[in-house]
Amino acid sequence: MTELLQYVANGLVSGGIYAIVAVGFITIYSVSKVINLAQGEFLMLGGMMTVALIGMNIPYGEAALLAIAAVTLIGVLMQKYVIAYVKNSNPISLIILTIGISTLIRGIASTAWGKDAFALAPITSNEPISFAGVNIAQQSVWILLSVLIILFLLWFLMEKTILGKKINACSINPMAARLMGISPAKMSMLAFAISGATGAIAGIVIAPLNVTSYDVGVLLGIKGFSAAILGGLGNPLGATAAAFLLGIVESLGAGYVSSGMKDAFAFLVLIGVLLIKPSGIFGERSVGKGGL
Amino acid sequence: MQAINKWGKSFGIYLLLVILFPFIMPDEYYRSVGIIIGLHAVVSIGLCLVMGLAGQISLGQAAFWGIGAYTSAVLTTKYGLSPLIGLIASGLLPGLFAFILGRAIAGLQGYYLAMATLAFGYIVQIGINEWEPVTGGASGMISIPPIPFFGESELSMYYLIWGVVTCVLLFSLNLLHSRVGRAFRAIHKGEIAATSMGIDVRKFKLNAFVISGMFAGISGGLYAHYMGILDPQPFGLHDSIKFLTMVVIGGMTSIWGALAGTVLINSISEGLVMLSEVIPGLQGDFDTIVFGAILMLIIMFMPEGIVPCIRAAYEKAAAKRAKAKQVQKQSEQVVERKAAT
Repeated sequence: MTELLQYVANGLVSGGIYAIVAVGFITIYSVSKVINLAQGEFLMLGGMMTVALIGMNIPYGEAALLAIAAVTLIGVLMQKYVIAYVKNSNPISLIILTIGISTLIRGIASTAWGKDAFALAPITSNEPISFAGVNIAQQSVWILLSVLIILFLLWFLMEKTILGKKINACSINPMAARLMGISPAKMSMLAFAISGATGAIAGIVIAPLNVTSYDVGVLLGIKGFSAAILGGLGNPLGATAAAFLLGIVESLGAGYVSSGMKDAFAFLVLIGVLLIKPSGIFGERSVGKGGL
Repeated sequence: MQAINKWGKSFGIYLLLVILFPFIMPDEYYRSVGIIIGLHAVVSIGLCLVMGLAGQISLGQAAFWGIGAYTSAVLTTKYGLSPLIGLIASGLLPGLFAFILGRAIAGLQGYYLAMATLAFGYIVQIGINEWEPVTGGASGMISIPPIPFFGESELSMYYLIWGVVTCVLLFSLNLLHSRVGRAFRAIHKGEIAATSMGIDVRKFKLNAFVISGMFAGISGGLYAHYMGILDPQPFGLHDSIKFLTMVVIGGMTSIWGALAGTVLINSISEGLVMLSEVIPGLQGDFDTIVFGAILMLIIMFMPEGIVPCIRAAYEKAAAKRAKAKQVQKQSEQVVERKAAT
């Protein structure tokens, strides 16, 4: 029983990270109808930049803030100079484009920082917290806390503020939004900025728990996308629930079947969902099948 | 042999280059590079059928390659079967995988297929790593027998592999100019329109996917027997992206483009290897920077790819020349007529 609880606790932590990635995908997709396959690289950049900045004797807090700002800027630049340039091309070109960007970022990272894995110090001490026989690293609490704060802020932004209403307007009908004086291009840029910032934060908080290296982004990206599809693209709440589910399934699979196959479980779930119910278990919102 | 008629001139040049290459570059090293280019070409032509014709994308082509390689390697080393049987199996098994995967996702489009094939690539690499009793895990397999029926020297292997490339090329070019090819192009232009013309879009996409899987598998089997050793490293995302870059740079809609792209990308890779010996700062995956940049820039500035662009420029120049000739002829006629009067 304790074992089971331990696995579920671990699953919730990684599920939280997948949730941030999934929501990042959805934020960009809903506004600009682009699936940003470089989403995972935002996480990698967040973690690696923080490590690199700390290596340059910059204190932890400032290093993290600088990394978040830099990744946000990269997101904005990417939208402004690359994505916007080929806005009206077919989906296959956009896939190749974003895959190209992610490959480029990964290549630059591996050239700049090497292929070694780096460890980032946890925010508070390494001492795990025991609760009913379940051991949780203090960092895990930080991860869950930051995930919940990010998700709450995003929900608040999208549902309760005028800016969120503008973003929603652009995702529903860009032409009508433009007629109302909202710039879809600006909202698209904002969406990339949000995704970049949240991705960077997720990358920083997860780095102490696992090690971080130039290629962590791919796996996190695919898993986040799996969650986004599982929950239904365009449905942030569904995607969040699906992400936690995915994390728990993966952790149980790693615990009870084989730890080496850990990553395969998430992908088997993805392919299984695509086979059975491609619109996601919680249903898509405003996205038709084949609408991609 | 419609393809030979239609592409008579370029096919002749292709054959000449392929046959003469080992004698232009009589070094063993360049012959081995030629062999690798041939193996990659088979995969990228298959991928080109999926991308350019069916308008789909596969980010897991290296996985089919790997399944083919390991199938043949395991059958010949563990069960002592002849490499020929191994090669046949290495074409069929990836085809079967492609069929199952494609059946699940051929009805879907774009991003779903991209992500599903990406995930498939990871599963296969993890599977090869974890299934140690059969595949040897991360340490790989050794002493895979070479293909005996064509001699074992580098040169005979070169001709065997380019023979396979030529077969694959002819098959694909013929496909392009048959009813199937026209159906594929219709799908690429617009699926709904194609469906309403009575084309079973799902079936065609699935066929393209299966064919590409089989091509990759055969190439993988040949790779295993050529190398003699295998490890899971070349069957991951890095090489899938490399295949993607080959097809994109040459031109997604052109089989010749895939071939040209393969030669180009492999030359770039070789150039980078030489460069990294001179400049020690190029550590890590410097080639991924180049591939990523190529993918990005090609889509931004030359989405059709290099070969269709060159062909368009060539045709434009030819048309211009023909027009100039016509004008000249007309003016000559006018002069003649004036002289006559």
